[in-house]
Amino acid sequence: MSSAGFPINDLIRRKLQTTLTVLTLTLSVASTLFLLLFTNRLGLGIASSKGTLTLGLSGIFGQFSLFIGALIFIVGAVLTSFIVFLMMAQRTRDFGLIKAVGCPNSLVAGYFMTELLTTTLVGCILGIAFGFLADFSTANLVFSRYVTPNFLFAPLVFFTFFILALFFGLRPILKVSRMTPIEALSPVNYFGLTEGVSKHKPISRRGITWRIALRSLYRRQSAILRMVFLLSIVFILLTVSIAGGIIARNTTTSWITNPIDKDAIVIADSTMIHQYKMSLSNFSKPQENLDFNYSDPKLLIPDALIKQLETLSSVDAVDSRLVLSKTVTEMAGFAILGQASSSTVFVGGHRQSKSLIIGVNTAELTGSWSLKGHFLSGNDSEAVIGDSLALSMYVRDASHGIAYSDPLLEGVGLDDINFRIVGVCVDPLNNGFVTYVPMDKLANITGINEPNLLLIKLNASTNPNTVIAQMKSIIQASGLNLEVSNLSSEIEQNTVFLSSTWQTIMLLPLFMLASATICFISFMMLSVDEQHQEFAILRAIGAKPRIIVNISAIQSGIVLFTSFGIGISFGIVITTIILMTNPLITTSTVLLISAWLFSALMAMLALSFYPAYRLAKASILKIMT
Amino acid sequence: MEIRMTQTEDVIVSTEGLTKTFQVGDRKITVLKDISLQIPKANFVAICGPSGSGKTTLLNIIGGIDRPTKGKVFIAGEELTGKDEDFLSEFRCNHIGFVFQSYNLVSTLTVAENVAFPMEWTRKPSAEIERRVIDLLKTVGLENRAAHFSSQLSGGEQQRVAFARALANDPELILADEPTGNLDAKNAQKIVQVLQFLKTNGKTVVVSTHDLQIQALADQVVCLEEGKMATNYE
Repeated sequence: MSSAGFPINDLIRRKLQTTLTVLTLTLSVASTLFLLLFTNRLGLGIASSKGTLTLGLSGIFGQFSLFIGALIFIVGAVLTSFIVFLMMAQRTRDFGLIKAVGCPNSLVAGYFMTELLTTTLVGCILGIAFGFLADFSTANLVFSRYVTPNFLFAPLVFFTFFILALFFGLRPILKVSRMTPIEALSPVNYFGLTEGVSKHKPISRRGITWRIALRSLYRRQSAILRMVFLLSIVFILLTVSIAGGIIARNTTTSWITNPIDKDAIVIADSTMIHQYKMSLSNFSKPQENLDFNYSDPKLLIPDALIKQLETLSSVDAVDSRLVLSKTVTEMAGFAILGQASSSTVFVGGHRQSKSLIIGVNTAELTGSWSLKGHFLSGNDSEAVIGDSLALSMYVRDASHGIAYSDPLLEGVGLDDINFRIVGVCVDPLNNGFVTYVPMDKLANITGINEPNLLLIKLNASTNPNTVIAQMKSIIQASGLNLEVSNLSSEIEQNTVFLSSTWQTIMLLPLFMLASATICFISFMMLSVDEQHQEFAILRAIGAKPRIIVNISAIQSGIVLFTSFGIGISFGIVITTIILMTNPLITTSTVLLISAWLFSALMAMLALSFYPAYRLAKASILKIMT
Repeated sequence: MEIRMTQTEDVIVSTEGLTKTFQVGDRKITVLKDISLQIPKANFVAICGPSGSGKTTLLNIIGGIDRPTKGKVFIAGEELTGKDEDFLSEFRCNHIGFVFQSYNLVSTLTVAENVAFPMEWTRKPSAEIERRVIDLLKTVGLENRAAHFSSQLSGGEQQRVAFARALANDPELILADEPTGNLDAKNAQKIVQVLQFLKTNGKTVVVSTHDLQIQALADQVVCLEEGKMATNYE
């Protein structure tokens, strides 16, 4: 027997186990690398790029992606260490056998280390290759142009996983090398088996199936605990990605749909409508015309028309807006209220940004905003800014000596007139670079006394087509060149874009779920294999085949449900407390999340029956041998 | 005297032309060749023959653990060939007690539980199970080991537990595959005593064995050679 030939031949002869180990390692490494590359591409890419999502949404998305990425890395690492531990722990008996026939300790250890190195190396190399392949395919599919991936992730994943695999794989080898052949051959040392002889009554009252299942679990507690730990992290990952993803999607979708009623009718000059729609569609389309002249007098809508429209019985509200594009300035030198003069803290600097300035009449608003603070209350010195403006102009900036900054304590300047910021809102318009101020005040500043855009909220029982026709005829009769339209398609586009973005990241952990499922099946296979002699005895004495499946089902059920409970609990806490504040959770959200998680659990449970089912179908003599 | 019997109510085991062939690579190995055998109720039968002669395979087929390639098996008037696994499991549980050479106790169960579990599948009341377990352990002299696990027993003790388990459901037929094969003389003697007890109590016992003491107990001795029945005599 050549020292290199034996391990290789041994791996080839044990096709199923070797394939499962290499497959799990490959999947684990590939999915981790792919997910890191993709998360980096998608999450951090979006989070750092202006002009796609608002900065507030990007921040949430980036935080979410980062967390998913970290969890994926942990799952991959635990998965890798567990699979090699299982692979090597399973060989304890073989190790004992080879030692028993006189093979020197160092040579036996060498055989198994060669096996470990071979499988780990093959698994990691294949994993890295498939990881890049998956990233390449997905990036071409999802993004319009392929950007070279961050290659630094490859050595990070390869070396981390390779070292972890070696470390955890070597532990059982080193442990068994210190054993005598008899110890190594004993089932007590096989597959992490620990003999647990507690005080039992001579005859237990519990059913025989439960008794055997529970005691077998108890005797393999070290392996079981590792499996529960692994699956718990997988379920945390799954909960954060599915529950968090659904909650985040619904919440953020509500943030971007609430500011504009999807059934609202918009009336403005055709160029203004086009510009407004473009400005609203920044998530998925190129930006609006940056040279558009919002102050053009031909865009203004006369009061007479507004009054005429307000008289229509089908109209609930006419939200008149004056939309302008201006540079806003952070007002420096704001002191925190209530501070003594000696301890006055001045906040902010002189930062500037382009912003859409929207003058509104608070009594006529047709939308609502998700806000930090509150919306305009009627006081003409108040302003509400978009989240992108807040996150670009009102953040701590040590390089400019701004040690403290908080938009709700500061002000925004517009043409030398100061407004106190009372709220920060999420608004898809102009990607969150918006400033809402009272219409009258804006009119005073700019000298423009009429709105250039109307948002009209219709009565719910009205047929919109009839009203639009009616409005068009009124406008025509007035001799004005205004267009009547609605914004539903733009809102829909934003919703779809946001949903698909969340869905993409929600799907990523499915790779990890697949890896964990394969690992769990491998574990159950080893577990069933370890119990095969006892199952054969039970069958020979009169147990029906389903008893074997039942015992295995109880064992896998206990492991899975325990992990599920732990994973879900931590996952929900992490999702609701850390990742999203004020989450939008409805009954349908809970049902949808439950359905997804329950499906994953049931799929894993059903697949875990396979090894026992396969054994139960085999003849008793085959099981015995 | 050669035994020639027809299948009657007094016959508990009857085989007709039993043949068992294994496929090993391209080769077919015939382990049993045309074995026709009848065992009357309450008989003590010893199956002897050299290693590889087919003793274990014959016992496994009679016990419904293995299936013949050809031929038929009747136990207590029930034909076992062609029956599904669920039927065979239930049949083994109720009508056959099996004792293996390597004891084969369930390591996660205590001695008492090992004896009790075949009765649990027949849904006997707990009180009856407990009573019977105590009786059976007394019979094999292990009543003080009830709460121990198999790993805490000697080989001889484990084999006696295996006999107690085989008797749990009071089966009509006890099959024992070289029950003293792994034991020293002292422990083997205890197993012979258990077998003597079964014979005295009118149980039908079929034992494959090389042990002359056990063969001496036999009402009927069946000798196999290379899978064929060489002799069958009383």
